[in-house]
Amino acid sequence: MNGTLWLAWRQQRVLVGVASAVLAVVAALAAYHRDGILADLDSGLFDHCGPGPLHCTRDDIGSVLLLDIEPLRYLGALNMALPLLMGVFWGAPLLGRDRELGTHRTVLTQGVGRGQWFASRFALAAVATTALSGLFAGVFAWWWQPAADRSYGLFWYEAPALSGSGPRVVAAALFGLAAGTLLGLLARRVLAAMGLTLLATGAVTLLLEWAHRARLMVPPHVYTSPGSVPKPLMGDKWSTGNYGLTTASGRKDDVLNCPFPSGNRLEECMADKGYVARFYEANPASDFWAFQWTDTAVLGGLAVLCVAATVLLLRRRV
Amino acid sequence: MTGPDAPAALRATGLGFRYRRRAAWPLRDCGFTVPTGRVVALVGRNGAGKTTLLHLAGGLLRPSAGELRVLDAEPGSPEARTRVALLTQDKALYPRFTVADTLLMGEKLNPRWDGATAERTVREGGIPLHARVGELSPGQRTRVALALALGKRPELLLLDEPMADLDPVARGGIMAALMADAAERGTTIVLSSHVLPDLEQTCDWVLLLRDGRIELSEDVDALRGDHVVLTGHADRADELAARHTVVDRRDGGRQTTALVRRHGPLSGDWHVERPSLEDILVGHLRTGSDPGGRTEEAA
Repeated sequence: MNGTLWLAWRQQRVLVGVASAVLAVVAALAAYHRDGILADLDSGLFDHCGPGPLHCTRDDIGSVLLLDIEPLRYLGALNMALPLLMGVFWGAPLLGRDRELGTHRTVLTQGVGRGQWFASRFALAAVATTALSGLFAGVFAWWWQPAADRSYGLFWYEAPALSGSGPRVVAAALFGLAAGTLLGLLARRVLAAMGLTLLATGAVTLLLEWAHRARLMVPPHVYTSPGSVPKPLMGDKWSTGNYGLTTASGRKDDVLNCPFPSGNRLEECMADKGYVARFYEANPASDFWAFQWTDTAVLGGLAVLCVAATVLLLRRRV
Repeated sequence: MTGPDAPAALRATGLGFRYRRRAAWPLRDCGFTVPTGRVVALVGRNGAGKTTLLHLAGGLLRPSAGELRVLDAEPGSPEARTRVALLTQDKALYPRFTVADTLLMGEKLNPRWDGATAERTVREGGIPLHARVGELSPGQRTRVALALALGKRPELLLLDEPMADLDPVARGGIMAALMADAAERGTTIVLSSHVLPDLEQTCDWVLLLRDGRIELSEDVDALRGDHVVLTGHADRADELAARHTVVDRRDGGRQTTALVRRHGPLSGDWHVERPSLEDILVGHLRTGSDPGGRTEEAA
């Protein structure tokens, strides 16, 4: 084995081991709880429930029917926190530990160059991060699939599903690793690097959650229904909460201008005030992938920037 | 021997280094040549630039000005890395590695590795191979770091304050090992140290740094031959300074004692003594920094 890769493995094998153990536990829990979900669905209790976002109730006692998806939400939250965990515990010490101990000097005065030294350890960390985060996202998707987009399950637009599954989890974990690595190079102490990494990755994670809610990068569709034609059902679309009335010129007004359910009074009111249609804004379920890929592009781009900055600074700071 | 075509272990021309633009120069305008096969004492006061120079030679830093060549290669180049070993002052090793792991690391990271030499160096210090590096004493850690450097079979061995953590017995043992290595394989050794008596016995070349500049780069025998300690009447001191270089001078009443570098025969009524290498080095180190000199400059 190449010498620097041997050293990288020797220093990161504990991390790989711990992360793999966590993955194994998560996978076992997923298998157990997914079986439970499948058994609940097989019982026929949910057969009468519609596909919409409204909760469905038991016919006999009227209580709300829900699958037990609380543990699934926890896995989603764990996946959302992966960039923080990877950055703090894997990225920050990757170069930071050596810099704090001064061991990078010992290593770099052996027969290896700093390019090779960095490439080996970052490559190993990146491959491990990609594999582990991909498997975490995969376990989530597998567990989620029987409960996906049901009022008694988890809709695609809920944060644990939208941010805790798919390729964006891998991109986010790689971003965390790259940001941690860069900050480990910049900060003098590993502990400081860890704190800075927590701040940086936490800020980016929250910013992206806000961007989802604000539909910043994936704008919603506008669904209109002219006159008294019934509105298209919301179904599994993700509403922005913005809906109302449109005039002939296209002006959009608040729904409170004609606060009536479909019927004669609504028609009269709309005719009175010059409204020709009703509208609402929402993202269809197919936008799940639009959200996924924009996130992946943003996080992947940030990761590449961090790695590029690290490589540029490596000559001067190591 | 020291001409431009002779093989040089270290050759600097106009060498300067600073960490940032517009920052101070820890090292500047250094020009010197150290022939191969020498045991070189790198001396200087704290902050004179010894560590900077060694890190430049080890390829850990790059010159900001001028050039430094080690064994006719660029420091840090693949060729230089296999032929030059550097033991840094902090002797940083991975605390969670065992001694055996650390030596295995040397084997894995070096294209040329002499495991027997490395292991012998460790065993001579009575250090068990399965001990964790973090649990060793500083002196033992130094020995392991030295084993890592010697295992490379370097042609140029750079040692930054190697003896600082060692007791006198271990110090003697390690010095003997180094000298044996130098004699056997012609290794050039550069060691920086504050412990001047240690150097007296072993070194045959002196590199003296003062305020980031090279003050001396000379053969020790030549230095010894040229320097004398003179004691005599203070009135004669100016006459002396006109013909020879007065390195360091102390006046006591009408009598003066001076470390002098001779240029030609001495004349006059002087009591002449042969200085030790330590006396010569301390004399050169003190120049320009003693209070008397400063007052004169200020006046």
